[in-house]
Amino acid sequence: MLNYIIRRILLMFPTLLGMTLVTFLVMGLSPGGVGGSLLNGAGTMKADVARAQREYLERRFGLNQPLLVQYARWLNEISPIGFAVGPNQKLGAFHWLKKPDLGYSFSKGRPVLDLVAEALPITLLLNLITLPITIVIALAAGIFAARRKGGILDLTSGIILLGLWSVPTIWAGVMLIGFLANRQYLYWFPTAGLHDTLAETMPFFPQHLAGGWNRGWLADIGWHLVLPVLCLTYSGFAFLARLARGATLENLSSDYARTARAKGLDERAILLRHVLRNSLLPLITYSAGILPSLFSGAVIVETIFSIHGMGLLMIDAIRARDRELVLDEALVVGFVSLVSYLLADVLYAVADPRVSYE
Amino acid sequence: MSSITGPMQMTPPTPAEPVDSPSPSYAAQVIGDTVAQWQAKIALAWIAVIAILACLAPIVASSNPILIRIDGHWSSPMLNSLSWIDLVLLVLLGGITALQFFNRLGIARKLCVLALGVLAVSCIYWWRGPAPQNMVYERFRDAQKSGHVQFVLNAPIPFSASDRLRDQLDPRLMPPSPEHWLGTEEFGADVLSRMIHACRIALAMGFVASGIAVLIGIIVGGIMGYFAGITDILGMRLIEIFEAIPTLFLMITLVAFFPSEDYRLPMLMIIIGIVGWTPYARYLRAEFLSLRQRDFVYAAQAAGLPLRSILFRHMLPNGITSVVINLSFGIAGAILAESTLSFLQLGVVDQPSWGAMLSQATGQGGQFVWWMALYPGLAIFLTVFAYILLGEAVNDALDPRRRR
Repeated sequence: MLNYIIRRILLMFPTLLGMTLVTFLVMGLSPGGVGGSLLNGAGTMKADVARAQREYLERRFGLNQPLLVQYARWLNEISPIGFAVGPNQKLGAFHWLKKPDLGYSFSKGRPVLDLVAEALPITLLLNLITLPITIVIALAAGIFAARRKGGILDLTSGIILLGLWSVPTIWAGVMLIGFLANRQYLYWFPTAGLHDTLAETMPFFPQHLAGGWNRGWLADIGWHLVLPVLCLTYSGFAFLARLARGATLENLSSDYARTARAKGLDERAILLRHVLRNSLLPLITYSAGILPSLFSGAVIVETIFSIHGMGLLMIDAIRARDRELVLDEALVVGFVSLVSYLLADVLYAVADPRVSYE
Repeated sequence: MSSITGPMQMTPPTPAEPVDSPSPSYAAQVIGDTVAQWQAKIALAWIAVIAILACLAPIVASSNPILIRIDGHWSSPMLNSLSWIDLVLLVLLGGITALQFFNRLGIARKLCVLALGVLAVSCIYWWRGPAPQNMVYERFRDAQKSGHVQFVLNAPIPFSASDRLRDQLDPRLMPPSPEHWLGTEEFGADVLSRMIHACRIALAMGFVASGIAVLIGIIVGGIMGYFAGITDILGMRLIEIFEAIPTLFLMITLVAFFPSEDYRLPMLMIIIGIVGWTPYARYLRAEFLSLRQRDFVYAAQAAGLPLRSILFRHMLPNGITSVVINLSFGIAGAILAESTLSFLQLGVVDQPSWGAMLSQATGQGGQFVWWMALYPGLAIFLTVFAYILLGEAVNDALDPRRRR
């Protein structure tokens, strides 16, 4: 197992290298090159600001050098192992461990690392809440449908799941926020963000305070999360429920289920004690597959509900033509997806002892 | 080898069929099995409606009357305003419909007739001169009001997609009414008209973008599967790289780096195609890996056929099923991608698009415009749903376990 994990981690490096190369080349080949639109506003800037920005870009990318050299320089900056870069594009001493420098976002006026450190936990929170909920509901629905195989409920649920799968997230989000979080109609949920403006002053748990009932920080964030999580859940749910139905059907007609039936167990015990565990397995592998789509969904959901996660940061970066921020975002999101793929594979082996990666 | 004409691995060993009654080809069987399912019928009907509306858009929804008589002078402003693409689409629609009744013509002759039609209409277009660039949409409505018009035959929906109703007092964000069936949008244009014109972008995006994706997927997957070994390993890494970055992030990155204003639509198609090729390559590679050891491939190699012929003439017809299964889902994905990008205001500009219309539902001080949310969203949903139902039907028809 350890062997496998180490091999997988080592294999991540070429993939990461390729990923950064692809995104960097795309940026380098686009009109204006790497520095192109970063220097866009240079004409209207104050002279010293423009000079500072140009010096920064020169130091970071070496703009007058070939594209591959620019890529190597950039790679050196973002990796935790590498050379220190001094003034005049000179490479300094080699460090085995240095602080990875993701660069500086001129549109936000802050280091990219800080921005990502703020935004990533929010997007991860959204996804980590969504994933278990999705799996549990999908499993329940799948088993429900499988037990009534061929019945009216099974057939209609099949069509309904396909329908849910094809509801665009943009539509679901706009409809939910429009009808359930709007003063014109039902104002049940907050319109934007993850916290109330007063969230900092709230106690953690709901409790009675001097001013009356206070819902507390936890309940507040939960209240804000209902609609975004709903938006992220349903399409993955539809996909996984179809999978769970197939797995349950296959397991119900398998040899071990027949043995359990032969020794006199009732259907309920067979389903809950024997079949359920085995039906979980394909869900684990595929939940890693839906993670990138959850990230994609997060872009939409964060934009609609104004949640300041990775997705909204990305959109902001594009609107401001902050290409370096875009590049770093793609890198970070790709990296997180790779790690989650690895995690899912390891989880799969833990859940199913028969699986061996040796 | 008979497997050149159809995938052998799909057909279970059957007793020899009587030779005198020619059985339909494998493709015909699959198409028949697909269309026989009721979901597929509904889905195809909806797609046909969208396609017909896309072709007829400038006739169905136009501010220019079909026929008008101003001061005793007859004219057809709508015909004059048709662009080259409008004309070609109309000819294609009319030609395909008409050719349905001529079964005896072969497919090649039908294509010739269509090509001739396109050529003819191009000549007419060239002779007439290009359509006027700047339309004054309210011209004919004004003429009618002032009483110069003796006869007028309007389009069923008498508003063009970019007609912002400048002759009306406050045309913005009017709720659905008998005049504007689905209301007006934030600039005053008729929502129904814009939705009909947007069918074009949705359909074109679906076909062209997934066509590009299939093309890349077939070439990369075919080469990977045929050569195997190191090529395969490198190719799989490439696929992994593309799949590791979440699709929307990758698309947004590309859109951000190539923000071309002039070629927005082709650029979007290429970007969505580039992002979506990996599943096709993945499945075709698996097929080709098993096909490359087959006798007919060895025979083709021994006969000294060029690589192009071995790959695409001999192997591809046997491995194409995996691509076909994914095609319908791919089209659905491309339509979804376009509307999402347009919703995020990174897609088409100014042209009507369902996604862009949906983004107008909220905004302007938190006001929620329900008709801008409901109808365009419903159109995206129904189209995507139709393609997914169709994909499921194809899947069922191709699945040997589910076949009779």
